[in-house]
Amino acid sequence: METPFKIKLEEIKETDILIGVPSYNNARTISHVVRAVMAGLAKYFPKAKAVLINSDGGSTDGTQEEVQKVGIEDFKTILISHPVHSLHKIVTPYHGIPGKGSAFRGIFEAATFLEAKACAVVDSDLRSITPEWMELLLRPIYEEGFDYVAPLYARHKYDGTITNSIVYPMTRALYGKRIRQPIGGDFGFSGKLARFYVTREVWETDVARFGIDIWMTTLAIAEGYQVCQSYLGAKIHDAKDPGSDLGPMFTQVVSSVFGLMKEYEPLWKEVKESQPVSTFGFQYEVGLEPVSVNLERMIRNFRLGVNDLMEIWTKMLPSETARWLESIERLSDEAFSFPQDLWVRIVYDFAIAYHKGSVRRDHLLKSMIPLYLGRVASFIKENQESAAGEVEEKIESLCKIFEEMKPYLIKHWA
Amino acid sequence: MGEVWRVAISDSFNKFLGKVITFLPNLLAMITILIIGFLVAWIFKTILYRFLKAIQLDKISEGWGLTQILSKEGEAYSPSNLLSRFFYWVIVLITLILGVNALEVAATQHLITQFFNYLPHLFAAVLILVIGYLIAIFLGQAALIAAVNAQMESAKLISRSIRWFIIVLSLTMALYHLGIAEKVIVVAFTIVFGGIVLALAIAFGWGGRELAKDFLERLYRGKGDKDEKPDRFSHL
Repeated sequence: METPFKIKLEEIKETDILIGVPSYNNARTISHVVRAVMAGLAKYFPKAKAVLINSDGGSTDGTQEEVQKVGIEDFKTILISHPVHSLHKIVTPYHGIPGKGSAFRGIFEAATFLEAKACAVVDSDLRSITPEWMELLLRPIYEEGFDYVAPLYARHKYDGTITNSIVYPMTRALYGKRIRQPIGGDFGFSGKLARFYVTREVWETDVARFGIDIWMTTLAIAEGYQVCQSYLGAKIHDAKDPGSDLGPMFTQVVSSVFGLMKEYEPLWKEVKESQPVSTFGFQYEVGLEPVSVNLERMIRNFRLGVNDLMEIWTKMLPSETARWLESIERLSDEAFSFPQDLWVRIVYDFAIAYHKGSVRRDHLLKSMIPLYLGRVASFIKENQESAAGEVEEKIESLCKIFEEMKPYLIKHWA
Repeated sequence: MGEVWRVAISDSFNKFLGKVITFLPNLLAMITILIIGFLVAWIFKTILYRFLKAIQLDKISEGWGLTQILSKEGEAYSPSNLLSRFFYWVIVLITLILGVNALEVAATQHLITQFFNYLPHLFAAVLILVIGYLIAIFLGQAALIAAVNAQMESAKLISRSIRWFIIVLSLTMALYHLGIAEKVIVVAFTIVFGGIVLALAIAFGWGGRELAKDFLERLYRGKGDKDEKPDRFSHL
């Protein structure tokens, strides 16, 4: 921990609630996020001592100045009573590997230092955050005795494809908890859990980057902490090209999922079925902005993969799976279909190969991207005319296949 | 006459016997060296194999992807096994040379001295070739995956070009290190490499003017693909 940051924490001494906002060049949206956080704390936790920490990755667009500018006067019209304690705001750069995980590490350290009772982290590029998010993320911890609150959002049917096709079904099949958004990015957690996180030596791995979300969720479940989820409404991010980060995003998240499987092998091998978790918040339907999708490009990428990467894939996949992929590659765009059970088998085969180290791990993860895009293209084609509820049913059926095929994973793991 | 004949034969026999008696200890020394050498090689191989297994070299190599590179057509070679075998044969080779040297035959003495002087160069050349091959395989595979993910149609060509370029480069370096036709090797490599770059430059500049123009426009003006609409959904 850097000395100026430590001095600021020493001045504050202790806190009830700590909110962390990791950022990097989010000047356009961060003031809205900070305003929502401050309003939420003042409205729902007026008697609690609270600290807001902006853990910044060296922004050059004035992000830090935007955070400093926001004051309680900005939203006093929405408050019934004034907060007893003023909110402390700390803007600090984080250190270590550039990434969200490193930013979170600083937040965990601060939570430990200040002996915070309840903590929450929210993304700095959110456009849909409201003051109610603070209550929904913090109340289950502050008053209900939970240790970890995962978010539950209304999202566009095509959004969250890594979540829907890998992370949610895998987390559910492996650890037996139906946490719908295990890598949602906005979480609540107890001070006890923050103290546990900070003791782990993972800050030189992909956990320091995009792997942090699934790492937090998995550890909370696997270490026996009380987990729940809260419905937050719509999740809308600042507009940017989501495809630009796909490579690192995909490899860092999936490597964290596969890496944690080794750590918690005895646990997940014993889990036979999944259970729902407590859910807070009032669920309602939300009108979401349409999103554009380039199906042809995804299918083209899948075909390129089949033609050029088969020599790598055959080191991990059984020959029948390879033949199945080749038959899909020959389908026209109109007839293109990547079946769910094939996808599940492939994910398990890649997890097994990752565990055994039969292919260099970074090559393994990167070579999986064309397969993932093929499955995403098929999912989008299958659901073009479907309503949100029908899409959710399809995801549910994928999760069931992951659970049914778990014996295959266990059999080939050792 | 008979006496002379007898003396000549006796002298000749004595000389031969003397030579045999002088040579016999050398022969025995060679046999002893060979027996001890083979024994040492076998013991060293066994100890080294167990040591490499104990430090989990095979597992570490799997993580690096080395085992995968060493395996061919479904048959996997463990690095521990390969390394211990390699050192076994190195000790055997040295033993053989020492054994021959123990015979003290003038014709072989010079050759053996030359061989030992050349040995470090040979080791360095083998090392260059092995490392070069491993780098070629690794970079070739990395380039292939990156090119596929960047949707490049010529991904395999790029990967193979990189792989062969590194192999040829390491081969050139190894031959240069061995002192085999140094100048010819360097000149040949320069001509071939320069020729390839020139051919690519001409091909790209002449045959692919439109492609180059389009590429540069996209690069500097952020124009994007003309017919491609970007994806706007979030993967996470």
